[in-house]
Amino acid sequence: MKKDYIICRICLVKATFMLFLLSFCTMKAQRTLTVGGTNWAVSIPSITEAGSNYTGTYESAANQILLTASIPLLLSSGKVSVHYEGNPTWNPNLILQAKRTGDGTTLCLLCTITGGTAYQTVTLTDIELFRITAIAALASYTNIPIQLQLSGVSVTIPAATYNSRLVFTISAL
Amino acid sequence: MKMSSYKLVFLIPFIISSHLFSQTTGNRTASVTLPVVTLMDIEPAGAIAMNFIAPTEAGRPIVSPATNTSKWINYTSAIAAGGLSRKITASVSPVIPGIDIKIQAAAATGSGGGTLGTPSAQVTLNTTSQTIISGIGGSFTGNGANNGHRLTISLSPNTYSNLSARTNTAVVIVYTITE
Repeated sequence: MKKDYIICRICLVKATFMLFLLSFCTMKAQRTLTVGGTNWAVSIPSITEAGSNYTGTYESAANQILLTASIPLLLSSGKVSVHYEGNPTWNPNLILQAKRTGDGTTLCLLCTITGGTAYQTVTLTDIELFRITAIAALASYTNIPIQLQLSGVSVTIPAATYNSRLVFTISAL
Repeated sequence: MKMSSYKLVFLIPFIISSHLFSQTTGNRTASVTLPVVTLMDIEPAGAIAMNFIAPTEAGRPIVSPATNTSKWINYTSAIAAGGLSRKITASVSPVIPGIDIKIQAAAATGSGGGTLGTPSAQVTLNTTSQTIISGIGGSFTGNGANNGHRLTISLSPNTYSNLSARTNTAVVIVYTITE
């Protein structure tokens, strides 16, 4: 009787441990983000009148970047953040902003996507762009459109080609 | 039910790894090219008339025309990092014997910004270009009259023996922006 109890206890411990392992394996790599769309080469009209500066603000297409995000059942929510990195060089006076111009598509009726519909300045550190929340369901949104805006363009910035990499990240809230 | 310490040691890396690998990232690039820009003009467009007035009393000199301050220099300048600053020079053609044509640029005013140029002292124009504004970096003056550097142009006799009567002599002042 005591032997059976010990065996049962060992089995229970092992089962619990396995459950933990399986949970974490399931969680691993389940919150995913795919970045689509196209890179944005900003077209700046030439200055034709002496004394003038650039108009200063330029917008990309409303669906320049398309994000596909999914959050598994167990995690229920997530946020998409963005930051920029010089690639290799960006001038800090050039201000990049991003906003979400739509919800994308989803089959999930109980999922919500919120925030990020007004321009936010993209910095060198992550800023939250929007959130996705699911209630007892797998939340998957495809083709979430992101629009970019560049401001601060001026002749006072040294003439050069500037490149930046916009890095989108999905993570827990 | 107690979990032994070695099992915890296994679990902690799993927790960390699940936290790390549940985040995924992707990227797109944004690029912009800002070209070198060198633009300059004189505002408002059009010629100015400056006439000497004959004296009405024997023994008096001719009367010089009033100085003209109607012209403004506008420019837009974009230079590469570490590039040379720009300057604006002026020359005149033709030189009228016996007459000095002098010019001076004022400090920039108006709606411009950036590293605007520094005016030189008044210069007497001749056929050789002389600097009237220097040290122009990445900047813009604003467009039109009342933006940029106001020009003060004056005429005066220098050597009376070289003066001769003339009418409607067109004199061109050439302004050049250069490094």
